[in-house]
Amino acid sequence: MAEYPTLLQTSLVATALKVLLWPAYRSTDFEVHRNWLALTHSLPLREWYHEKTSQWTLDYPPYFAYFEYTLSQLGRFADENMLHVSNLGYDSWNTIFFQRATVIVTEAVLIYALYLFIQSSPAASKKQSHAAAASILLSPGLLIIDHLHFQYNGFLYGILILSIVLARKKSGLLASGFVFAALLCLKHIYLYLAPAYFVYLLRGYCLGPRSIFDIRFGNCVKLGLGIGAVFALAFGPFVYYGQMEQVFSRLFPFSRGLCHAYWAPNVWALYSFCDRVLIYGKIATMKVPLKDGADLRLTAAPYLKLAIDRDAVNSVTRGLVGDTSFAVLPNISPRMTFILTLAAQIVSHPLKNAPRQQKLKPNIQTHQPALIKLFFTPTWHNFVSTLTLCGYASFLFGWHVHEKAILLVIIPFSLLALTDRRYLGAFRPLAVSGHVSLFPLLFTAMEGPIKVAYTVTWLVIVLLAFDWLAPASPQPRVFLLDRFALLYIAVAIPLMVYCSLVHQLVFGARYEFLPLMFVSTYSAIGVVGSWLGFLVVFFTS
Amino acid sequence: MSPPSASHRPRKKQKTNAPTSNGTTTLDHLEKQERPAFPLVAFFWPAKAANVSQWILLPSILMTVFLFRWCTSIWPYSGFQKPPMHGDFEAQRHWMELTTHLPVTHWYFHNLEWWGLDYPPLTAYHSWALGRIGNLINPDWFALYLSRGLEDMDLKVFMRATVIASEFLVYIPAAVICVRKLAKMHNINAWESSIALTAILMQPATILIDHGHFQYNTVMLGFMLATTACMLASRPFWSCVFFVATLGFKQMALFYAPAVAAYLAGICILPRLDIPRLLGITIITLASFAALFLPLMLGTLFDTYRNVPLPTDVVIPPPLMSALPWSISEKAWYYPYLVQLTQSVHRIFPFARGLFEDKVANIWCAVHSSGIHKLNGYDSSLLSRAALALTLASITPPCALILFKPRKELLPYALASTAWGFFLCSYQVHEKNVILPLLPMTLLLATEGGMKPSIRAWVGYANILACWTMFPLLVRDELRIPYFVLTGLWAYLMGLPPCSFNAYTASKEDGGLNVASKLIHLSTYAGVVAWHVAEAFVAAPADKPDLWVVANVCLGAAGFGICYLWCLWRMVEKSGLLNDLDLGGGRMDEKKTQ
Repeated sequence: MAEYPTLLQTSLVATALKVLLWPAYRSTDFEVHRNWLALTHSLPLREWYHEKTSQWTLDYPPYFAYFEYTLSQLGRFADENMLHVSNLGYDSWNTIFFQRATVIVTEAVLIYALYLFIQSSPAASKKQSHAAAASILLSPGLLIIDHLHFQYNGFLYGILILSIVLARKKSGLLASGFVFAALLCLKHIYLYLAPAYFVYLLRGYCLGPRSIFDIRFGNCVKLGLGIGAVFALAFGPFVYYGQMEQVFSRLFPFSRGLCHAYWAPNVWALYSFCDRVLIYGKIATMKVPLKDGADLRLTAAPYLKLAIDRDAVNSVTRGLVGDTSFAVLPNISPRMTFILTLAAQIVSHPLKNAPRQQKLKPNIQTHQPALIKLFFTPTWHNFVSTLTLCGYASFLFGWHVHEKAILLVIIPFSLLALTDRRYLGAFRPLAVSGHVSLFPLLFTAMEGPIKVAYTVTWLVIVLLAFDWLAPASPQPRVFLLDRFALLYIAVAIPLMVYCSLVHQLVFGARYEFLPLMFVSTYSAIGVVGSWLGFLVVFFTS
Repeated sequence: MSPPSASHRPRKKQKTNAPTSNGTTTLDHLEKQERPAFPLVAFFWPAKAANVSQWILLPSILMTVFLFRWCTSIWPYSGFQKPPMHGDFEAQRHWMELTTHLPVTHWYFHNLEWWGLDYPPLTAYHSWALGRIGNLINPDWFALYLSRGLEDMDLKVFMRATVIASEFLVYIPAAVICVRKLAKMHNINAWESSIALTAILMQPATILIDHGHFQYNTVMLGFMLATTACMLASRPFWSCVFFVATLGFKQMALFYAPAVAAYLAGICILPRLDIPRLLGITIITLASFAALFLPLMLGTLFDTYRNVPLPTDVVIPPPLMSALPWSISEKAWYYPYLVQLTQSVHRIFPFARGLFEDKVANIWCAVHSSGIHKLNGYDSSLLSRAALALTLASITPPCALILFKPRKELLPYALASTAWGFFLCSYQVHEKNVILPLLPMTLLLATEGGMKPSIRAWVGYANILACWTMFPLLVRDELRIPYFVLTGLWAYLMGLPPCSFNAYTASKEDGGLNVASKLIHLSTYAGVVAWHVAEAFVAAPADKPDLWVVANVCLGAAGFGICYLWCLWRMVEKSGLLNDLDLGGGRMDEKKTQ
């Protein structure tokens, strides 16, 4: 029995809307990709990672460069002029139409992957899978980032989902590994998900099902050789030219700051927010309003004579892509974020004293950290959960995280959200905060109504549909997650009104950072909340 | 039915899940399962199973139609970067400029050459209100004389937003109510009427003209929908008020006037003469017209009191006033008011313009430009008399029918065929005016069996053909892509060619079309597709540079003529006139209508 509307029907209507968005606002990422089209088309391979006529140098791995090269071969027929490296900022109508069209066309990979996802799900959960697939296909995140801001996430996440779906069957594990390796060579942000893949493939493919000492050497060789070949194809030419150092310096620019110009809603946003509040406390001495539990410490800052780094006061709010320094709180180094991220991915989470139902259901595995849990019970469900947790960890603790990286959490989580009602409880605040946090990407008057109307419509329809479809959970509800979600969603409305209208009316152009800070702090609370919720659900089920 | 004078009737709750009858689902004979008859229904499928409440369904529909409208708004508007005259966008902006800055007595006298105000007073008041709001945001947008031809991105956003806001205040509530009234009358469940509502709101022609080209037609169409809704709800007095508003917003609403008048007259004389109702209708209509002109007159009073002189470069008294059979003293107290009144009427009805403008798919333009018979040799008064005679001939049958059989089911047909008659035969028609006959015709989707293949195919035929005849206009506005997207999307959603042929494969029992209709439709669609291919790849011969446009006009006019005949035929069929003539079964029918 087919579910309506089918993916094809949904994607056709979505495509109509996306085509209408062609002349809409596009960020500098549009020029970035045009430049890559130009440089891959007009320069020999060995100059790709050295070229720096434009400030937007090639900083994606080689497969993406090959992908741009392929597109540029078609681009010739649209407008030859966009393929000149020196033609900076070139944006004829044909260039815009061509580039926008490539985003839509390459999204077919996502549609195909979602189709396979529905096909591969058991009959009992077909309906749920269909709803989850449709929600990803229509995701406001993809609409805002790909079809307005301009990137190729639909295509890339399509490959990710393809790899996840392949991993569902034993026979697809090898192919899944290859596809993921290829994905890493398209965009290295997916490295954050690699630990989950590593553990899952190691346990599920390289070791026998009965014992971890039952090593399958044949499989190890196949996987190793295959992945090696994928990487060799990507980096081989650059190894040959002896450019690996140059390539890596482009791929991993650690000179960037802890927070992006606009703070991604993660732990560092909360950290920066606390720092701001402390500055305020220091400057206005003792005039910090009493708000919540953290007050004692916050109001104490001026009295504790915490040193304020004068130069740092403006740094976060200046909105430059550069180093962020904190005025009151200690600065964070890249190494610290790396360790924290890894720790959040591997090390046990502070749940020892948490939920009550653990007593009801004593289970050794409930206390295990994610990757170890995945190692001992390598089910597909645990795999996707661990992917989600890896996404969370990297987003929350990573160095120079972009707000766009929230898709790394939302998309794998969407595949799980309909497992049962408890998962849905954790998904709700994420769906709201993750998409609201993308709003500052679009700041033009014309696009404002689109992002708000689209996201609100999507949230209403998806959250209601999920609510109808999510089966009851075998375990009782945890915490007051549902209440938290409801309160949280309710706060979004006055916040949006303030940020888009009231602030401008009251302050005009002054304090421009204030709405941005509120949005990212609000979203950070939602993401952290949903992370904690998800941890509880994952480790108690 | 209870008399309209009853002030309160208990509200009947709409049944949400009554058995479907409207052609939205088809039975799959192999699987013995219902499935959506066309893609639009598929999008409502989850709502059917879960029995979603209207409180969720309606906001979702409205948000979606809003999104498509706003996304169309991103595209260029008419006259964008086309000096010296620009286009309709500049006209509307200029009206806001002049109404907010000039004294009321100058509105209808101000320079006609640069987009002088030539719409009825309600448009002027609307422009004034929007201009006042705009002045609060940025006074430069409407600075007197200095803002001509202004092309500011923020101004575009503001103007686009005013179109959408006006539409959501007038057209959309009226459409929702009108579709509900139709659903109640034809016993259609809420789920199916939501589908019909979406189909009506997604009409590509209206979106393209209002949000692409830039006009405020939906305000006028919205008042017309309100008029229709009131007539369906047996509230003729309210319908008079709304119809005056329709006319007061755009004189083009005259396309509907004969049918509205005939229906209102019909319910006064049948089934028995109802003098109080007739008097009521007359008084309310006159009072509404008075209210329409009241602000203009009050402004005149104020200006006379302040001694504001009229502009010096104008003809006073206006030609219409000099044409009056008696002479009026300039000293008379009512002189300034009469000047304003006659001047506004003179502006609103420009009798001096030609038979048709540009290229429009009506009879005159088709006959003239196809070379069958050149019309430029004739005297314009002769042509206008011929146009009048032909228009009268075309609207007499539907109007007479609705006059003598004033039944609510016939209303959409009467309105549509009258409007088609006007569009095809009357004087001074624009290609954009095709959205007037389209509105009542598209309303048929919300009537009984409205989404069965036969009616759906005919409504779709008219809509798609209409969009196509506007293609040359849209190309000038650089709206080629929105045209293909929105028309294609609507055709796809409704399961119509060129996206799907399932409406043409249905058997007669499932509400399929007859062979003649199939032949007409499919050949027209083939013509449209071939035309698009030819227009895109083949240059018109040098001696006939307008070949493609002329071909468009001729095929369009033929198709619209067929639509007119279809509406008329369906109306005759539905009215039971044939039964009356042949079998004398009219009495039964009449009893039913009582």
